[in-house]
Amino acid sequence: MLARAHTFTIEGIHTRHVTVEVDVRPGLPGFAIVGLADAAVREARERIQAAILNSGYEFPARRITANLAPGDVRKAGPGFDLALACAVLAASGQLPQDRLERVVLFGELALDGAVRPSRGTLAVAQAAQRANMELALAGARAGEAALIDDLQVSVVGHLRSAARVLSGGRADPLPKHADPARRERSRAASPGTATPNLNEVSGQHHAVRALVIAAAGAHNLLLSGPPGTGKTMLAQRAPSILPPLNKAEAIEVTRIHSLLGSAVDTLAVQRPFRAPHHSITAAGLLGGASSARVGEVVLAHNGVLFLDELSEFTRPTLEALRQPLEDGRVAIARARHSAVYPARFMLLAATNPCPCGYAGDDERCSCSEADIARHRRRLSGPLLDRIDLLAELQLERTLDLRPVPLLSSEQARERVSLARARQARRLAHEQVAVNAHMDARMLGEYVRLDERGAQMLRASSCAGLLSARGEHRVLSVARTVADLNDRARVCASDIGEALALRPDVSRGRRRAA
Amino acid sequence: MSPPTHAIAAGRACKRCLRRSWLLAELSGPLEYYARDRARLLELLALEDGELLAAAAGRRKSELHAGYRRFASHHSSQREHEQTICRHDPDYPSALSGRAAPHMLHLSGAAGGLATLAARPLVTIAGSRRASDYGWEMARSLARGLAASGVTVVAALSDGIAIAAHSGALEAGGASLAVMTGGLDVSCPARRRTLYERVKRQGCAVSELPRDVHGRRWGQLASERILVELAALTVLVEAEDTAGQLAPARIARTLGRPVAAIPGRVTSPLSRGTHALLIEGASLVRCPQDVLDLLHQIRAFGPNAPATPMLGGEAQRAVGLPPRLKATLERVGAGCDTPDRLTRAGEEASQVLLALSELELMGLLVRGEGGRYVPRDALGGFASPRTLTAPSARRPASETPRTQA
Repeated sequence: MLARAHTFTIEGIHTRHVTVEVDVRPGLPGFAIVGLADAAVREARERIQAAILNSGYEFPARRITANLAPGDVRKAGPGFDLALACAVLAASGQLPQDRLERVVLFGELALDGAVRPSRGTLAVAQAAQRANMELALAGARAGEAALIDDLQVSVVGHLRSAARVLSGGRADPLPKHADPARRERSRAASPGTATPNLNEVSGQHHAVRALVIAAAGAHNLLLSGPPGTGKTMLAQRAPSILPPLNKAEAIEVTRIHSLLGSAVDTLAVQRPFRAPHHSITAAGLLGGASSARVGEVVLAHNGVLFLDELSEFTRPTLEALRQPLEDGRVAIARARHSAVYPARFMLLAATNPCPCGYAGDDERCSCSEADIARHRRRLSGPLLDRIDLLAELQLERTLDLRPVPLLSSEQARERVSLARARQARRLAHEQVAVNAHMDARMLGEYVRLDERGAQMLRASSCAGLLSARGEHRVLSVARTVADLNDRARVCASDIGEALALRPDVSRGRRRAA
Repeated sequence: MSPPTHAIAAGRACKRCLRRSWLLAELSGPLEYYARDRARLLELLALEDGELLAAAAGRRKSELHAGYRRFASHHSSQREHEQTICRHDPDYPSALSGRAAPHMLHLSGAAGGLATLAARPLVTIAGSRRASDYGWEMARSLARGLAASGVTVVAALSDGIAIAAHSGALEAGGASLAVMTGGLDVSCPARRRTLYERVKRQGCAVSELPRDVHGRRWGQLASERILVELAALTVLVEAEDTAGQLAPARIARTLGRPVAAIPGRVTSPLSRGTHALLIEGASLVRCPQDVLDLLHQIRAFGPNAPATPMLGGEAQRAVGLPPRLKATLERVGAGCDTPDRLTRAGEEASQVLLALSELELMGLLVRGEGGRYVPRDALGGFASPRTLTAPSARRPASETPRTQA
């Protein structure tokens, strides 16, 4: 007899629908699983047999063939156990078949028949919702699946519960922590309370300003300065001033993190902040080493990627950042698989201005001009071209005698959110949501300069301060400054501010002559 | 001295002087040993060929002696395109007449380059290899002003001040003269290749060593004496108080040539050497005009000297600035040179950033190392300042020359 069950397999961060077909026929007793299954799936034979027997069912002493279709997709992980076991029971007549067609079964079996959770629950839940099916899974991750609207979730703690659900009975109760009301409360709790606050930064006013502008328009920002000036401190405060994730973004972020195996029972609230060490390789940054593992850029999707000591990263690693920075996605092709992952992040980078770190300070800098030129060359090519803002920090030996009222993260976040809302309204009909992602056409369409502003921009190109690409960057940053100041038109002062924070590529060349 | 023998190929140097150059190249190794003692090296270089051989050749004495006697013109005739000039030539710069002066120079540059360049007053600009942004801007605008007034700027091709001087002079469309530390073909560092080519196009590069000799430490010290001796005046822009960095000034003193220096901040170690020179009595230079005045004093200009060189001063350029920008510019000049310091001095960060970029657009400030702003052309100069036109009187945002007649 033949039975069919449905489940999903995970490839990178994507899911593929898998049909589990089980055929039970007379013959020498045996259990074969075919269909490009990996070791973990083949081991399922032993688990399933034990689980079925220990749950009080009968394991058919016949020839059992299980096929995982489509046959050309590699299937990995223990998440197929539940579907296989249910299909075996149905094929041997111990379960009715009709409901099997409408339920996605996802979970690993213990030898006593209990259902264990598998990683990637959120992604599977999303896929089940799209396929218009029900989902049956273990209680421990039910909260994760419950995050998806319009999806019927049945909690099955044991193979027996699964059989009950498939026969039309009721599911197990939802565990307490997955309670939707409780989840709403924790989501409403003010985000960023435990994170570092911007008002702990003293001085460095213009760097703080640059950070706020960067956050408002999702611009890439480079912080450059001697050791101990607070580059890292500033960068760590970036998530606290970014607006909270919206529902769609939150699901994307949560999904990516759930695929890595971390248990999530609430949607992510804070934007992710990833700070990989500079010894990272290109594969670590982009993902896709042997299995389809995702990299740091994907984990930073919708959030911040912070590269401290930028000049210490290897050149191939930095080169690899080009595509995600440009397209907001990363396409990985390896011998066994290829995949496209979302990677739309804001890049924050910090670097010393020269190898010793004290360039510009005549008394302390011990680098020769050649050293500094070499240091610059490391940065310049691939990355500097994609950085919109540069804030240079200096070591101050004097105390701040006139402390300017400090900007707290809450205030900054409010201004940033307002600016983002303005951008979203303006870009409602476009694919992008923030100024940093506007292309040349959108810049021409949405950035309206007043007369003096246009003149200032023209003057700066004539003066050789800006390249064509540089002009675009200044335009988009100026648009963000105007959004922060709640102005419909970009005026000269916005352009001026954007100009003062522009990354300077010509300066590197100046001395190299 | 024997009568000039204009015999060899396209080069105009005589065989004796070419032999001298060959000898120096052969003695490069032993001379490097003397590079530790500047004075001793200069004494050696002042010796006649025979004495030099005896003093420095060591174990290779007989071998070199034989080579010296057999020295034939084939050494140079292989390269007929080469330009050379020796002290027996009427066109040889008359300033190179000291005891330790080079006997000949290998040249590379525009035709008749050296003669034309040396006919004008020459000023050497020297200083630290690790210049600050201030020093860099000073050297550049000084060179620019001088080149525009018809003065030839002489400098090495080392990092820092020297490079700034060359680029300033070339920027003004003037000529500069580069003194190389080794052979012309090989002693230019790769990263200076572009600048070197420009110098050769618009001016001239000289060296006393054959073209294929690599620059060494002694060659650098030896080139310093050519630098100083060529010029009527030596200006140090930024130099630390070390023997190495003050060497050009010391050589000028021994030759009895005038020395001038640009002051810096008294706390800056990079200006300690120049300040020491000023205390010792070097002339103080604030702008190209000061240098031109000095040149007039020492009659470096010929009888047909320009009456008043054209220069616009800083005060003149700041005319018409809105008070807000003027205040910012003054504060930057007084040492509040970073956006952060300016903000501490009591303005909104966004306002400070705006003012700084406006001043930068006008060409009054440049952004330097580590985000510090440096007043540009505080010396006054020739480049047309780029003006931001006021909204009331709009002109095309192109360059508006403001040089004063």
